[in-house]
Amino acid sequence: MIRHRMTVAIGACAVALALAAAGCSSSGGTGSNTTGSNASGSSNSSSTGAGGSGSTGSPVTISYLTHWGPDQVKQLEAAADAFHKDNPNITVKFQAVPFANLLSTIQTQGSSSGGATIASIYDLWLPGLIKSGVAAKAPADVASEVTSNWSEGLVNDVSSNGAVYGIPNEVDLYALNYNTKLFTAAGISQPPTTWDELVADAAKLTDKAKGQQGFGVITNWAAGVDHPFLSLAASNDGYFLNSDKTASALTTPNVEATAQLYETLLKAGSTVPSMSAANANTTGPYLDNFANGKTAMIIMANWWESTLKQSMGDNFKDIATAPIPKGPSGTKSSSISYSWLTMVNAHADPAAQDAAWKFLTYLNGSQSGKNGSSAMGDVLMGMGILPSRSSDLTAHASGLSDPFVKTYVDEIPNATPFPIAVGGQQASDALQSALESLVFGKASPQDALKTADQAVNAALQSGK
Amino acid sequence: MTATAVLPKGGGAVRTRRRQGRHPGAASAFLSPAVVLIGAFVLIPMVLTFWISFHTGTMSTPLGEMQWAGWSNYTDVFRDPTHRQAFTNTAIYVGLSLLITLPISFLIAMLVYAPKLRGSALLRVILFSTYVIPTVAIVIIWSQLYSPQYGPLDVMLRTVGLPEPGWLSSPNSALISLVIFNVWQMIGYYVILLVAGLTQIPQEVYEAASIDGAGAVRRTTSITIPLLRNTFVFVGLMTVINSVQVFDPIYLLTQGGPINSTLTISFDIQRTAIQYGLAGQASAMAAGMLVMIGIVGGLVAVALRKRP
Repeated sequence: MIRHRMTVAIGACAVALALAAAGCSSSGGTGSNTTGSNASGSSNSSSTGAGGSGSTGSPVTISYLTHWGPDQVKQLEAAADAFHKDNPNITVKFQAVPFANLLSTIQTQGSSSGGATIASIYDLWLPGLIKSGVAAKAPADVASEVTSNWSEGLVNDVSSNGAVYGIPNEVDLYALNYNTKLFTAAGISQPPTTWDELVADAAKLTDKAKGQQGFGVITNWAAGVDHPFLSLAASNDGYFLNSDKTASALTTPNVEATAQLYETLLKAGSTVPSMSAANANTTGPYLDNFANGKTAMIIMANWWESTLKQSMGDNFKDIATAPIPKGPSGTKSSSISYSWLTMVNAHADPAAQDAAWKFLTYLNGSQSGKNGSSAMGDVLMGMGILPSRSSDLTAHASGLSDPFVKTYVDEIPNATPFPIAVGGQQASDALQSALESLVFGKASPQDALKTADQAVNAALQSGK
Repeated sequence: MTATAVLPKGGGAVRTRRRQGRHPGAASAFLSPAVVLIGAFVLIPMVLTFWISFHTGTMSTPLGEMQWAGWSNYTDVFRDPTHRQAFTNTAIYVGLSLLITLPISFLIAMLVYAPKLRGSALLRVILFSTYVIPTVAIVIIWSQLYSPQYGPLDVMLRTVGLPEPGWLSSPNSALISLVIFNVWQMIGYYVILLVAGLTQIPQEVYEAASIDGAGAVRRTTSITIPLLRNTFVFVGLMTVINSVQVFDPIYLLTQGGPINSTLTISFDIQRTAIQYGLAGQASAMAAGMLVMIGIVGGLVAVALRKRP
């Protein structure tokens, strides 16, 4: 009896193991030729990636994962429809997820041939995705197209060990955003160009009774915390990492001076920490305070123009932009820059990968958009985001002369690229935590940077 | 009495043996679907989590390609001050949730259970509704309530001349703000559990106590609370388990900040695994959390066994 029960129990466990193994095998492996299910889970997605071969004439469906909103997805779908007319065997489906879920979706689907064939990614994520074998190397013709049509800095951002892994699209910089109405009321005619002017203007623009701060900072969001600080540091000739991106450079005097600038603004009451919070959607109180005229100045990226317009309505006319104020040791104003790119899933079926690169070449090529722009360039400009392809910058010259955007465009040659390294996200979070300690008065500038220095080095080490 | 009590037992045992004799594999056959499901969806993932915790790799690294790491993921987790802070924050969050939830839910349950209270059924529905509504939907409202300066809570405090705590925007108040949110969201569920416990206490006991001269306070301390002991233990256990796993409000409202003051184990696991690509370390944290829950569960089991 006991033996019989054990047999049944062992049999049940064996079935369980077999089921689990079957489940594991269906999501693993590469290059399956079965037209499989799409792991995207999107309502508008269909069978994906695997199966068929575009090159041999068999139909192939690829999926494109993005964090953009419905309007941008419609534009991408229109480009995909136009592409499909010339390439009837290739169908592109789109899946949109919130920014906060983008990397997790890529990571969890990335090891599967059924995961998204194309994904839009933040350049800081690329080293990790290359390391884990998720990002595919671009074919020679695509790599050549990238190196010929994008600036060297952007090509470096999408490359590793000399190989190109994606096609750059969006480029973002930071600038001082300020409220001209508040400036006029405070009797200030020009935006600050130096740190001394920034401190003086921020004090004049602060009105505690009205709940108004002169200079706003952001917390609870790594890029929102780090990039404005590092832009000020770069404008004082100070940097996040050393030149070969192997160690922190945060304890240099020029970066320490930046932290001291924050302390000065905080002690003067010109920066109010409780007005700084951001939420998972990169909106929240910091945005509301600026949009409602409670923050006079803030350092932010060009992409938030559409967000500001949406939040402010007609009051957006009061917003102007200026280069990052220069520090006492700096030779020029310099903004942190970062980019986005589209990569292809290395685990997708080879035919799907071929189709994906073909579509991306078309989407980012000079023939797919209007007036010599790429379709991608048109989508980006629709959001107030700077395109990165050289011919797109020419095609959209008039749009890029818009007063809000022009500051950012003019600063492109002086930009300091955010260092891309394995462990970079962890290092970025470590700096965020240290800067928040400084902002909330929990650490002195020196102690905050010392803590950040150690944590950043540990992060870079653990990423290896 | 004794004989009649023994006979059916013996008869039952005989019948059971007879049934087993006719269908020797019945129990195993009936249990096997559950064994398969539990094995596939609970045991195997748990074993895999422990296995990954001794290896290095990212979320995308196939299991066969992960590298053996020994105990290094565990030592890294406990050496890293950020991970340690996640454990500390979680412990504070769980402790505060427990301390606030139990007495408040008991008081509300007593109020709702009062037989003479009109509209108590409606009150129960309203209380339970906070538990039913998805966290994502509630978070939208609470993010507005907690907005610094222009949020309704700050406006009210300012109106009466009280200082504004900063709520989610301050490292001093962010975690307690999330505890308040948790208590508000979960309390209806615990009230319903306690009301169910209250209904199990025979009215005769209260009547006898009243005849003996016991007042309301004495009846509560000497009858209600002791007889609700098991329900309290269950509510406490559920509070601990739900609080240890807190993720949604942190993911949506604070992202663990400011200064990691709301970084909890669940959010840290997600961030370490997904953002940092350190699946081994994340699994070590998950294993640590499982052990913590196991210890709490064990203590509760011991407490239940020791009941009078």
